[in-house]
Amino acid sequence: MTGSELALFKISGLEIALLGAALAVGLAGIGSAIGVGIVGQSAAGLVTEDPDKFGQTLLLQALPGTQGIYGLLTGFLIMQRVGIIGAVPLELTIAEGYAFLMASLPIAIVGLVSGIYQGRVSASAVGLVAKRPEELGKGIVYAVMVETYAVLALLASVMLLFGIPV
Amino acid sequence: MPTINMKKVFLLGHQTERPEILSLLQKMGSMEMLDLKSGPNWEDLSDTLIPDHPEQKVNTLEAQLGEIRYCLDLFHRYFPMRKSFVQQFTGGKIELTDTLYGEYTGNLDKIKELYRQCRQSEEEFVKIRNEETQCQNSIEELLPWESLDLPLEEVGEGSYLTVGLYQVPEDRFSAMISELDKLNCYYSEISTNGDLKHIVFAGLIKDKELYIEIFKEASAVSFSYPISPGTAADNIQNLQQKVTRLAEKRQHLISQIEALVESRMFLMTVYDHLQNEYDKHLAVTNLARTDNSFIMEGWVPEPALEDLENNLSSQTKTAVLVAREPKPGEMPPVLLENSRAVEPYEVVTKLYSTPKKNELDPTPYLAPFFFIFFGICLSDAGYGLVLASLAFLLIRKLKLEGMGKQLMNLLLMGGISAIIFGLLLGSAFGDLLKLKPLWFNPLEDPMRMLVYCFAIGLFHIYFGMFLQAYRNIKSGQLLNALFDQGFWFIFLNGLVLLILPQTALLGKWLAISGALGLILTQGRSQQGLFKRFFSGLLSLYNVTGYLSDVLSYSRLLALGLATGVIASAINSMAGMLPGGLIWSILMAIGLVGGHFFNVIISSLGSYVHTSRLQYIEFFGKFFEGGGRQYKPFQLKSSYISVVKTDDV
Repeated sequence: MTGSELALFKISGLEIALLGAALAVGLAGIGSAIGVGIVGQSAAGLVTEDPDKFGQTLLLQALPGTQGIYGLLTGFLIMQRVGIIGAVPLELTIAEGYAFLMASLPIAIVGLVSGIYQGRVSASAVGLVAKRPEELGKGIVYAVMVETYAVLALLASVMLLFGIPV
Repeated sequence: MPTINMKKVFLLGHQTERPEILSLLQKMGSMEMLDLKSGPNWEDLSDTLIPDHPEQKVNTLEAQLGEIRYCLDLFHRYFPMRKSFVQQFTGGKIELTDTLYGEYTGNLDKIKELYRQCRQSEEEFVKIRNEETQCQNSIEELLPWESLDLPLEEVGEGSYLTVGLYQVPEDRFSAMISELDKLNCYYSEISTNGDLKHIVFAGLIKDKELYIEIFKEASAVSFSYPISPGTAADNIQNLQQKVTRLAEKRQHLISQIEALVESRMFLMTVYDHLQNEYDKHLAVTNLARTDNSFIMEGWVPEPALEDLENNLSSQTKTAVLVAREPKPGEMPPVLLENSRAVEPYEVVTKLYSTPKKNELDPTPYLAPFFFIFFGICLSDAGYGLVLASLAFLLIRKLKLEGMGKQLMNLLLMGGISAIIFGLLLGSAFGDLLKLKPLWFNPLEDPMRMLVYCFAIGLFHIYFGMFLQAYRNIKSGQLLNALFDQGFWFIFLNGLVLLILPQTALLGKWLAISGALGLILTQGRSQQGLFKRFFSGLLSLYNVTGYLSDVLSYSRLLALGLATGVIASAINSMAGMLPGGLIWSILMAIGLVGGHFFNVIISSLGSYVHTSRLQYIEFFGKFFEGGGRQYKPFQLKSSYISVVKTDDV
């Protein structure tokens, strides 16, 4: 690549900020997709035996879905802050762009991993519900213990976003 | 609020009156029966008493119940009764008037006949299904030979010729025909199915050995069909006709079963009825008897005792009830009692654990916190209104009982709380209705909201510690209350005051004195001075536990923000659509669907996270649980709830 070509490949702060939005939505979404998928597989197995458990298992399947929503929420906030939605896009410096990228990282990383693990716990809770449907509440609590960290990561991301002076 | 007091009761009666007495007890439903023989007193009693056994009738009842279950299962397989999505969580029974109930239960002979018909129908059904599959398989086998116009009965060996049908793997085919071409024979390709070629072959019988060798080499498989006249196509046609006939027969059978389904209501009713009869007869296993009298043991809640005594003395001649307070070492079951406003929150307690006897029932204490936390998590007036109305409608529409009803009431209260916090924090369907917050908007000042969340969390934790201190004081352990809760309270408050510069000095001394107190007392169960001091010092490390407990309440803010921001996202996505009629309709659909989704997912999140704050942060401070729930001997129902004729 020659120098003039490199000059064409100039990246501004806005793009870096949008990378942050994409990572938050994308990675947290992957985590949730895997988590929800794991629960769905074991839930479908249970429902072949007992179709009346659909409601209960759907509840468990919904639990690891929240990471994706938190990611979307963070991504959406970034888009709003940088003016992609609604207003005119801001002229961000490279440093400001990186600030947005950093702010997206907590929910992107924690969302990815916690979604998968919450899915595993929820899938085990499906087994719990198969044998003792009255203990659904305890299964949910176990899954929520995992989600705590996604909530904390979301909080960190949102506080960071609110704190960026743009 | 303590749990309801339980009385240990012993009931004596005459053998001849036993069925009446048991019926009465079952109807009253206020006594939990104990197995006398597994009790601690049995050894003293076993000289005079012998264990009682249920009558032969139990086996008949069990058989009848089995028959009904078979019929109901059959109906369910072909004509399932769909439970609605909500009913899967909450239950819900069919209503039946008491006159119909009487009519049904007076007609028990019908069960046998119904069972016979069901059984017969199903057996026939299975037979037809098997035949159908057989035919389908045969058709499948014959299909590749459909274009062969040689009648199948001519396949085989005659005096000069051998005729055969063969399936050859495609990759061996060319090698095989080059071999066959060297001999004197005829072959023709009928069809190709997958990687198998189907051929018809005719050759001289004297060369049979050679042919067989070639076929073996090419791994060709000979196809033979059980002798039936006509070509493959003829056979297929016959089979297809048979399949149609069978399907008609099956349809006919299904309509027969459908006619039987009319008696489903009858079967459900008698099932409930017989199940109760069965329970009653089985209850006898808990009794012990002499030649002419019997005795049973059980628990009765104190408020229900008088009623039970009165009924026993007025409706029976021989029954005598003796009640006494539980002795130490006995484990009475636990029945929660709460005022109407607090009762829905029993669901939260029960999902964790039933309190132990004499343990504080945490329900009334967690109720206000649950109400507030749920509101902060959902914190949207519009969503609160939707949730509350949904819960209200469901309570009215489905006749719910027990946990289902409590859960719905819990959500109704949660909705109301969300309306309050939505108005305070200025959110209704996100930013759709531009509400002016009565207090402040957490989106504009999240740090302020975070501090409030920590504050309310700290209060929640203090309250839990206070309850434990109260427990300690009540059981006479005044010093434990001071050492384990009091010093922590002082220490933690000192740490909090350290944050603000104005109170830092006071905070410092409070923290130091609290810490000193903890160091001196927390090791008191240890032996030796050094060990005591050291484990006292180490106990200060628990401050991290309190810290993470308080930080955990940040989820209140996070979930509130999540609800609000997702709602705004839905609104602004709908707002980006261009004008025009079609787009407006699409926008309306998007708004309604999006917000409905958010109501459901946010309510779920609010419920589970609020529960978690109770279970981990609050219960951890004072509540043990592990009690046994009170399960009275009573009338039960799986399907039917009986109502008075006049009420319908």
